[in-house]
Amino acid sequence: MASDVQAPLPIGPQPKVNYPMNVVYCGECTMPTEYCEYFPNYEKCKVWLEKNMPDMFAKLGVASEEGAGEGDTDEKKKRQTRGGKGQVKTKKKAMGPQKVCLSTAPRGKKKSVTVITGLRTFDIDLKVAAKFFGQRFACGSSVTGDDEIVIQGDVKDDLWDVITEKWPEIDDDLIEDLGHQKR
Amino acid sequence: MFKKFDDRESVSGNIQMKSSVQKAIKAKLLDQYPYIEAYISSIMPKKETLKIVKCHDHIELLANQSGELLFFRHREGRYMPTLRLIHKYPFLLPPLQVDKGAIRFILSGANIMCPGLTSPGAKLTSVPKDTPVAIMAEGKQHAVCIGLTKMSTDEMQSVNKGIGVDNLHYLNDGLWYMKAIK
Repeated sequence: MASDVQAPLPIGPQPKVNYPMNVVYCGECTMPTEYCEYFPNYEKCKVWLEKNMPDMFAKLGVASEEGAGEGDTDEKKKRQTRGGKGQVKTKKKAMGPQKVCLSTAPRGKKKSVTVITGLRTFDIDLKVAAKFFGQRFACGSSVTGDDEIVIQGDVKDDLWDVITEKWPEIDDDLIEDLGHQKR
Repeated sequence: MFKKFDDRESVSGNIQMKSSVQKAIKAKLLDQYPYIEAYISSIMPKKETLKIVKCHDHIELLANQSGELLFFRHREGRYMPTLRLIHKYPFLLPPLQVDKGAIRFILSGANIMCPGLTSPGAKLTSVPKDTPVAIMAEGKQHAVCIGLTKMSTDEMQSVNKGIGVDNLHYLNDGLWYMKAIK
């Protein structure tokens, strides 16, 4: 490390490096893997690293153990001199129950529309989903609310197959039928 | 700047850029970033059209054809690269390095204080006031934050108090989390 401290920061493109550089981002905290340790859920990051990049994980393990002896006391001292905790907060993901609800709503006397809610809990882009439904059923389909897609026409029965086929992560049991509902 | 940014709420719309505007922006970037010239064609290929994403609070983002965010700017200010772009092309901005203790504060969005830039773990490249800089961290390879210097580096060393660099965009803020634009 001693030589590292003296070396000035590189300015301009480095001759031996190929740009664009490829940076590995952690799947858990989305930061470059070297910053994982500052994430509150570091344990989860570790699990992810172990699974996805075993060799990186091994390196990380060695490095952290080396530094652990002196690093700990260092950090304590710093914590005192720099007031405040400065803990990074995790963004609270609204991890409600993941469920997709389907219902039909009357539209005029004898026509109806299908309302889908809950797709957002699966991190699905609603705009894309609406377009997909429209193409699949050859009808109008639009995003109408924060977490709501309306498909024109009663296509509820087909949706079970279509949804599970398009997004395999949504299980049959997670789709609920709310029946007819008034708008 | 992007601490409370939310890609669902803060975006008011995106438009394809006219090629004349694109040319003007490219010229500006070439002018502002000395090392960009050899790589500008790989950052924004000539044939692709860029998108402008307009957001609340006078923020504008530039995205390439596939929707990856490349630059951001506030009002009529300079275009500044996003962290993802900086990670790919780290030479775009002059780097300043902070010591280890400062990292977690930066990651929660704090401005960079002078002592964190002048202590033994830190390194400075000399830049004047109001320059965009990439904040690197001691012992780390990649940038953690994009900031705007509030005083020149010489001042930082002599004053050694208060805010040295304004934190504009840091790891895990709203812009970082923003997904590619469709």
